Amino acid sequence: MNGDAIAILEVDRLGKRFGGLEAVAELSFTVREDEIFAIIGPNGAGKTTTLNLLSGLLTPTTGTIRLAGREIQTLPSYERTHLGLGRAFQVVQPFPEMTVRENVQVGALFGTPGIDRAEGERRADEALERAGMTALAEQPAEELTLLQEKRLEIARALATQPRVLLLDEVMAGLRPAEARQAVQLVRDVRASGVTVVFIEHVMPVVRDLADRVLVMDHGRFLAEGDYATVTADPKVIEAYLGAPEDEDDERTDAGATAAGVPNEPDTDEEDGA
Amino acid sequence: MRLWRDLLPVAAFAALLWFLPDLLRAGAGRASVSYLSLVTNAVGLAVLALSWDVLARTGQLSLAHAAFYGTGAYVTTLVARHLDLPLWVGIPAGGAVAALLAVGLGVVTLRLRGIYFAIATLAFTEVLRAFFRQLPTSFAGGAAGMNVAPLFRPAFDPATMERWEIAFLRNEGYYLLYAGLLVLTIGISLWTRRSRLRQAFTAIRTNEEVAGVMGVRPARMKVLAFALSSVSVGMLGAIHAHRVGSVVPEGAFSVATTVFALVTPIFGGLYTTLGPILGAGLLAGIEETLKRNLADGYLIGYGLVLVLSILFMPRGIVGTVRGVARRRRAAAAAAARASEGGAR
Repeated sequence: MNGDAIAILEVDRLGKRFGGLEAVAELSFTVREDEIFAIIGPNGAGKTTTLNLLSGLLTPTTGTIRLAGREIQTLPSYERTHLGLGRAFQVVQPFPEMTVRENVQVGALFGTPGIDRAEGERRADEALERAGMTALAEQPAEELTLLQEKRLEIARALATQPRVLLLDEVMAGLRPAEARQAVQLVRDVRASGVTVVFIEHVMPVVRDLADRVLVMDHGRFLAEGDYATVTADPKVIEAYLGAPEDEDDERTDAGATAAGVPNEPDTDEEDGA
Repeated sequence: MRLWRDLLPVAAFAALLWFLPDLLRAGAGRASVSYLSLVTNAVGLAVLALSWDVLARTGQLSLAHAAFYGTGAYVTTLVARHLDLPLWVGIPAGGAVAALLAVGLGVVTLRLRGIYFAIATLAFTEVLRAFFRQLPTSFAGGAAGMNVAPLFRPAFDPATMERWEIAFLRNEGYYLLYAGLLVLTIGISLWTRRSRLRQAFTAIRTNEEVAGVMGVRPARMKVLAFALSSVSVGMLGAIHAHRVGSVVPEGAFSVATTVFALVTPIFGGLYTTLGPILGAGLLAGIEETLKRNLADGYLIGYGLVLVLSILFMPRGIVGTVRGVARRRRAAAAAAARASEGGAR
């Protein structure tokens, strides 16, 4: 692929430990500007934890995160947002007491420091437009359908003017027709110059959207590459289908990752080979 | 455009407050002294309630309002006693010191939520009460408290005035100060609702983490709310000290002040400007009516009114009325859509 593209998000040996549990360990990957990057993996693989580490809801135990070259892993979430890292949540979390427009205004008025109020309100309306929510602007956020809530979630994140947008399972709970609309929305977002990192369980969506896919298992790097490559990888198939003896598998898998997987961000060639 | 929508009702309300003493005096004569005192209490309660509500909008259910009230009372008393300054200086000084303490408390309690936050703010009130009681008696009066000079000393002219008029004039001064403070507090309340603070405060109240991811700085906003909320209460406590002529630790830092500060907005309608004012007016009226008719048992009746109102109007008066209005509008819109569909 476009190997000389600019790295916008660089994650290096990221780790998060909750007491005795290693939720994320030795995780390294690089997202390039303007790509759609998927993070997949079985339940409990540490995908949402990773997203929380990226957006600052959790502080990593080890490792670094760079956004456009700047280390951000110790910054509070609002500063990461100010630097251009947007986030839409899996469990949609609108502010129910506000209208749809006001919800989006939160992101528009506070996502960019020092923004003028009129300009913020204009950007909020623009984000509503981009997410196809203009008609519902005056509706209380508590009265939305699930698809509308997801659109609001994305509009709110877009209103913060992100360079990188993190999406956590946007398709979960949507009907197929709705999911197609959501896929188109994500494409439009990327077309407008925003890099997208998303977590997804629905594999056809990953196939349709992702330029590159990172597979995680037990909090660790398992594979990376384009959709066809990673889904053909025996390690990935095993992780998804499960091996007969789960515990043994975990041990060998963890050992293999620690020993065998290089930490250079760009592992495309190896996975592709 | 937006500004006018607020400015007109506020100006009308301020004019009503301004002319109320004259209306009372013309209408009730001698009895206007007690009416004026009742109205003054109601306005004071409105300041207490409305300022508490500003802080509550960030989701911080504070039990520290008596702390700011008492601080204002002590500051103005100490200024009057130990510094050679005009008496009125103590009032803004009381507000300023209360705001400083509030910022301090806000910073320390940033990480606390829910019940832990409430307990910490209650403890803060108790600590301040103990602090002022333990100060040297010669400096701050100890447990017995101190006398405070009145702000107003109207001259009595036997040729043109009746005896009750002198009491009226004295009360009128305090009433107007309270009224001015209420207008200031309305200004603060409206500002937090019409500026981008509305979005920030509501977002923090709903979900602080999500608010942070949207770029809101929760810590800064919560501390700002503390300062905005405490400044008028500090001044209220200061004026009240001059009005009653004394300050004692138990009275200045009374839990009752904190309770009224939170019960009134809940009764009237949380997170609104009208609700706490309406609640204060009604509760003061209900309390007075019960007092006159039930004598010693009035607190039971008062408690009953509050319990029933929370049972049947959990969103307060304003919240309930708005809810009904919105359901009516929604029903009307649905009916309109249905009839339109039928016509086709």
